Amino acid sequence: MTFLKYITIITLATQMLSCIANIEDEVSDIEGTIELKFDNSYNDNDLLLNTTSYDAVGSEQVKISTIKYIVSNISLEDNNGNVFTYPKEDAFFIIDEADTASQKVNLYNIPAGSYKKITFGIGVDQETYSKGADGQGTLLAKAQEMGMMWSWQAGYRFFRFEGDYTSSTITTATAFAFHMGSHGSQLDNYKEVSLAFPNSIKVREEAKPSVHIVANIATVLNGTTAFLLEDAAEIHVDAIKSPQIAENVQQMFSVHHVHN
Amino acid sequence: MLMKQILFILIGLSLISSCGEEEAYIPVPTPVNLEVPNNFPEVAYNFENNTLTEEGIALGKKLFYEGKLAKDNIISCGFCHEQASGFTHHGHTISHGINGNEGFRNAQPTQNLAFFSEFGWDGASIHLDLQPIIPITSEFEMGETLASIVQKIAVEKEYNTLFSNAFGDAEVTSERILKALAQFILTQISANSKYDKVIRSEENTSFTETEAKGFQVFKNKCASCHSGALFTDKTYRNNGIPVNPKFATEEEGRKRVTGAAEDFYKFRVPSLRNIAVTFPYMHDGRFRTLESVLDFYTDGMTENGGVIDPSLINADGSFGIDLTKLEKAQIIAFLQTLTDYEYLNDKRFAEF
Repeated sequence: MTFLKYITIITLATQMLSCIANIEDEVSDIEGTIELKFDNSYNDNDLLLNTTSYDAVGSEQVKISTIKYIVSNISLEDNNGNVFTYPKEDAFFIIDEADTASQKVNLYNIPAGSYKKITFGIGVDQETYSKGADGQGTLLAKAQEMGMMWSWQAGYRFFRFEGDYTSSTITTATAFAFHMGSHGSQLDNYKEVSLAFPNSIKVREEAKPSVHIVANIATVLNGTTAFLLEDAAEIHVDAIKSPQIAENVQQMFSVHHVHN
Repeated sequence: MLMKQILFILIGLSLISSCGEEEAYIPVPTPVNLEVPNNFPEVAYNFENNTLTEEGIALGKKLFYEGKLAKDNIISCGFCHEQASGFTHHGHTISHGINGNEGFRNAQPTQNLAFFSEFGWDGASIHLDLQPIIPITSEFEMGETLASIVQKIAVEKEYNTLFSNAFGDAEVTSERILKALAQFILTQISANSKYDKVIRSEENTSFTETEAKGFQVFKNKCASCHSGALFTDKTYRNNGIPVNPKFATEEEGRKRVTGAAEDFYKFRVPSLRNIAVTFPYMHDGRFRTLESVLDFYTDGMTENGGVIDPSLINADGSFGIDLTKLEKAQIIAFLQTLTDYEYLNDKRFAEF
């Protein structure tokens, strides 16, 4: 037995041990799943498409046919202030009021712990645009299929709100449509929403906590900026009004409750 | 003896597996270095997210000339971007797509896009990868969806190999299609015109007297917008072109993208490289000749509902550039030196 052979044995043994150690490390990282429920409402009521006329600004009443928005860049803050950022590529979701399945978002492989706050984006950030096709996964195709891309510019619609309205002066139902997104490199309408949980959620291997997020669609017309549809029923790309819509949309979310 | 056996066992184990991962054959694409001419600006495209490779470029070229990217399986990118016409749509004012549908803009050349970060007449795309989405999905052009072209391409055996070579496996995604298209387009660099050879002092090339005079007039009267090696300052400007009544409701210029009233009828200052072969001119291709374009700048500008670019307003408030008939002829002689015959005949870009 030469010295060299001992070295070889030690090296090989270490290599194998490190493999075993790696496996153990992976096992010790306990992860769980969180469910986010996006529940669109109109003030105190569940939002019903094409059914109920809701009071909007002034004498206006709206009957809503479409609500869709893009959720992205999700992160969670635990009780110690540590932030866990969900993988960006997997964090694009399109919430569609007409598709119940789209309203439940599952986040997988969340490190076990107690979390007190969630942050997410509405729309697509400029960093994503700056990478081109890279890292957008299936979002491009999905967004296009779901009508969340503009056809004349290579950009996403972050938010779609459509239906018809009446008012004291406009008595026949008249179509309205708000489509909001960023305007090329000129105007970034991506917004971040941060919501604290009423009580922390506990992510464990065996438990699947659920966060019930309410989006009050009434805020779109009646938030920081009040929109009279009589003044502008179709807002697609507008340097002044689109950022105001983005701000109202940012304000429409709240966490109603969480389940542990 | 026991030690020896242990040694053999350990060596054997370590050969069998390295943490249990099997090595499979993965094709390795060949990286390509994009050659930038020394009179050109820096490349604007970020290759970190999309490494340029021989196999990626080859796939991109195949896709550029692929009719299946259109709903009718006929109209490829190359249909409106013909190499002999500097990758524009020869002789068409506005380009037409599937079922003879017509939009309201003239196809732009695809040259030198590696040096740009916004695309189209109005900056509708802020990344080269994303630009092809517009023609592919426009009902006036190719009328397709990304999901559908992914399906159509994925069933083609030939593409299995091409995707494997370029990306390591045969999976077809919209991300990969767009990245490959971008790679091919990025290689389309036009930098070997007579002008370039004069500037770089190559092959003893020099301007004729008329060309040299034209270059002087150009520098004095045109180069504030058509500046630099790309012959554009990349800005959006309203040049006082009359509103085209055929598209009075659709066409708003850059306002379409920004939503800002002051951007009405502003269009991107186009590059002038290969300008002699990329007729017709302007966003809607309304002018067939360079003479018409220069006549417009001397006599045709008008109020059009937008903010006319200050550089085109004279001290007395009148519009236009002051040019004599002789100066116009000299400018045109100079512009013809921007034609790059090597590029227009480069087999690397040709369909066949």
